[in-house]
Amino acid sequence: MAAIEHHRHILDFTLSSLLRRKGKNAALLSVYTLIIFILASVLFFTHALKREAALVLKEAPEIIVQRTLTGRYQPIPTAWGDKIREINGVISVRPRLWGYQYDNVYQANYTLTVPAGNPPEPGSIDIGSGISRMRAAHPDDIIAFTGHDGLPRTFIIRNILDNESQLLTSDLIVLSEKDYRDFSGIPAEQATDLALRVRNPREYTTIAEKITQMYPETRPIVRTEIQRTYDAVFGWRSGLLIVIFSAAALAFVIFAWDKATGLSAEERREIGILKAVGWETSDILLMKFWEGTVVSLTSFLVGTILAYVHVFLTSAALFAPVLKGWSTLYPTFRLTPFIDFGQMATLFFLTVVPYTVTTIVPSWRAATIDPDAVMR
Amino acid sequence: MISLCDIAKIFNAGKTNEFSALHNVSLNLRMRETIVLKGPSGSGKTTLLGLVGCMARPTTGRIFLNDREITSLPERFLTEIRRSTFGFIFQQFNLIKGISALENVMIPAYPTGEKNSLLRKRGLEKLEMFDLGKRANTRIEFLSGGEAQRVAIARALINNPAIIIADEPTAHLDSKLSNEFMEIMKDLKAAGTTIILASHDPIVYNSALADQVVEMRDGQVVKDGRL
Repeated sequence: MAAIEHHRHILDFTLSSLLRRKGKNAALLSVYTLIIFILASVLFFTHALKREAALVLKEAPEIIVQRTLTGRYQPIPTAWGDKIREINGVISVRPRLWGYQYDNVYQANYTLTVPAGNPPEPGSIDIGSGISRMRAAHPDDIIAFTGHDGLPRTFIIRNILDNESQLLTSDLIVLSEKDYRDFSGIPAEQATDLALRVRNPREYTTIAEKITQMYPETRPIVRTEIQRTYDAVFGWRSGLLIVIFSAAALAFVIFAWDKATGLSAEERREIGILKAVGWETSDILLMKFWEGTVVSLTSFLVGTILAYVHVFLTSAALFAPVLKGWSTLYPTFRLTPFIDFGQMATLFFLTVVPYTVTTIVPSWRAATIDPDAVMR
Repeated sequence: MISLCDIAKIFNAGKTNEFSALHNVSLNLRMRETIVLKGPSGSGKTTLLGLVGCMARPTTGRIFLNDREITSLPERFLTEIRRSTFGFIFQQFNLIKGISALENVMIPAYPTGEKNSLLRKRGLEKLEMFDLGKRANTRIEFLSGGEAQRVAIARALINNPAIIIADEPTAHLDSKLSNEFMEIMKDLKAAGTTIILASHDPIVYNSALADQVVEMRDGQVVKDGRL
């Protein structure tokens, strides 16, 4: 009981000490919170991007076959798929219809696609949440888009897509094959590309070579190449953030080092008084431990919550100038909220723990000095 | 009885700024008496008080408190003795700014783990002893010099110490407040408290309160007189 009261007294005194130095501690909290905010924002953001990439890849076919003419993309004849299906190891070939549509009224790019299963009836479409927000369009509303010939087409909205990845669905328009061909002008015997299912992943390269030999105009893209593409896209953005992360981490080290290198004359005097009137060195260290813990834990929690709001609710608005690449992804999308607790634990142990230790070290030095110094 | 045997204290030993504050000091201080250390600034009074009050260790020599040698005790035991046996009144008061008079008084008792309500009650009692009950929740910086002095005394008494150590307690007080301070000391002495005062103020060393006056100069005892 006495031990609990003892701790309580020291905790009370710590809190009153923090309040006594409102200005200094408010500045300390602000700087610390800002650093945690930047570090946590970078962690949240990079992790969310990687997760989006993983979700995109989860749905990707093993091999995609495109047709190119002098390096430029061309629609591919669907009849080629029948021939490719005869190659050993190929399970299925599906002609895909998808493409982009630029809406010059809203200055937005849409992704149009015909799904493999459960397509909407002709005349109706599903749209992504980004388009829904931007066009203020809801299920059963009628919406118009301009087709390849400049003439408008109207559709009834069947659903608003709400997949776990907004990167995939935000700007998506899902429509029937008939509507897509009418909208894009692609003739019935052609498709955007061919999606292949392959039995053995080790055969990807062999099958790709056979397709190229069969149709020299084709460019087979295997899943590992898609993986590399996404790594390049997301990695580039993550790479920039690593620079921000490094700068924030460096700021934290300087901040902690500054804290570790000394106490103010007033703080040293107080430690001397406390020792002189009967506090043990361990009591002073406990007080400084609580002081460091209160400051660092408060900063950590506030910084982390602000980072969460920043990344997942405001779409990392402060990073936008660095990540101008997103501007091509009109309408805007929000990253799917996801926290990696392992990363958060790492951030906790790399910030809260060192800060608390650096708070204790100079106090320990001061507390081990004979208390008679306070009498002089 | 507090006994000091051949005490020497050297600061910054072995360094260029080495300074010998005390040399070959031997003294016996009786319990329940009032002892005054008298001498000019730099004579070693404060250093001697620090050694008696377990705030520092002598470079050489031995100190006994009620026949128990305390010179070589580990820091933890010295702190325990300091907290339970001594109450300190410092020249600059050494109160902690930004907190109330009552909190200042309670601080030495925090490590004892006494229940907060009881501790507050005891702190208030000590403040009321010096007519400061109404100022209990006032922050230290808003108190007058005399009030701050009395808060410092109340803080020294919170753990009911057997020995009060006061270093130049009247240095920052006018003669009226100095006399009031001596009155408080008189009451404490009457209650059986041992009082060790270091001062070069005549109000203190000429006081009828003193049972023993130790005169110091240049780190040595030049006169040890019982009155």
